[in-house]
Amino acid sequence: MIIDQKKIDEAIDTIVAYGGEYIRECVQCGACSAVCPGVRAGFPLLCRNLIRHLLNGQLEEIIEDSSSWGCQACSRCTEVCPQGVRPQEVVFAFRRYQANQLAFSTSSVTSQMNLFETGHAVYVDPKEARKKVGLPETTPTSAFDEQAKQEIQTLINNSPMGQLGLF
Amino acid sequence: MEKIGLYLGCNIPLKAPDIEQSFRQVFPALGIEPVDLQGASCCPAWGTAPSFDLNTWCVLSCRNIALAEDRGVDIMTGCNSCFGILSEAKHFMKDRDRRKAVNAQLATINRRFKGTSDIYHVAHVLHRKVGADKIRESLKYSLEGLKIAVQTGCHALWPTDVYKVSETNPYHPAILRELCEATGATVPHYSRLEGCCGMGGMRSTDPEKALKLLREKLLSIKEETQADMIVTTCSSCFLQFDMSQPILKERGLIDFDPIPTFYYTQVLALAMGFDPSQVAAISQIDRSAVIGEMQSEKRLIKEVA
Repeated sequence: MIIDQKKIDEAIDTIVAYGGEYIRECVQCGACSAVCPGVRAGFPLLCRNLIRHLLNGQLEEIIEDSSSWGCQACSRCTEVCPQGVRPQEVVFAFRRYQANQLAFSTSSVTSQMNLFETGHAVYVDPKEARKKVGLPETTPTSAFDEQAKQEIQTLINNSPMGQLGLF
Repeated sequence: MEKIGLYLGCNIPLKAPDIEQSFRQVFPALGIEPVDLQGASCCPAWGTAPSFDLNTWCVLSCRNIALAEDRGVDIMTGCNSCFGILSEAKHFMKDRDRRKAVNAQLATINRRFKGTSDIYHVAHVLHRKVGADKIRESLKYSLEGLKIAVQTGCHALWPTDVYKVSETNPYHPAILRELCEATGATVPHYSRLEGCCGMGGMRSTDPEKALKLLREKLLSIKEETQADMIVTTCSSCFLQFDMSQPILKERGLIDFDPIPTFYYTQVLALAMGFDPSQVAAISQIDRSAVIGEMQSEKRLIKEVA
């Protein structure tokens, strides 16, 4: 592999801008990968190996890899990292880079639409189930609160998410 | 009675309202009054705003936190993801520039994050504010002799530096074990105690990989504990154990019947004598036998007035 300083800077600056603030502290010890359920399950590009690619300037090259979306955000990695890298935040920064390039699975669009329309990422009509267990049919949440829904839509429309053309 | 903001999230009020009902019945009986946070939204879940933009995550989380602040109460959440998301967002607000930017957005809907409400999990409120002694005194049935395998779930454990309450050793969690022991049940250790159940982003990205983790965990539970039931304080873990054990069974990947799974407050509500058709009514796995066992006459401790 050819090491290109310009590509390294671009990769690191991108990750830092998306919230992976401490990526430069990584010494590739692998403590994060040792405790990562995603690595255990077989996702190839998480924790140490993802950070290695990024520190080598490989950003666009791995944009289509879905490993980051398999991250559970459990933060076992952040807990054990001796360098304070907070690897979970690096994985999510990479995921944000992918998302903002629209490199994510179409199945994920449904939860964004649900969030925008009802304020709930997961939405199913709850009336029957709630009635069955003796609760009011509607929830005290945004799903049945017009003002709350408007607030959520205003906040999302005014955010970078609102500019992706999803809603 | 001490008041606390009941932050419901998505899965509990929409898919598992019997868990919500168990909160509403158990807490007042234990001296805690849950207050509804009218208009609360999704925390927002890891796969939504947190996957797109850090500040949008903080804006949506802080709107929810502000609802509790306006009522002068702390937040109690029953979903681990919500607990993790809200706690992390509050942690990010320590950055002054971020706080300014987030409050500028919230100002467009006439709201403001002040940082005055703490984020607790249902398990923390039961463990710290109610306590095992009060739980023991509230029981109508003793669960002595029943074996429980506990599943704390990831987002109540790590990273400890953003949480209001954390375990002494998050790789060997004790809070849920102690809560279960307070019902009289036995809670054996198993080697995959801290393991991930595979729910969440992993399940939606690659269900086969997620099932592999669940299977590893289940085999450890079955072989090492012979548990009568699995008890969790995470609504996502609950859904995974309840809906995916039958899949593993059907595919011949486990050779035992699915183990009945409950959210902790459902078991507590049953042990306190509440009506199973309200507090433990919705599941894929048939739980009627173990519910009947928990509320059998021979287990009666005292008459509750």
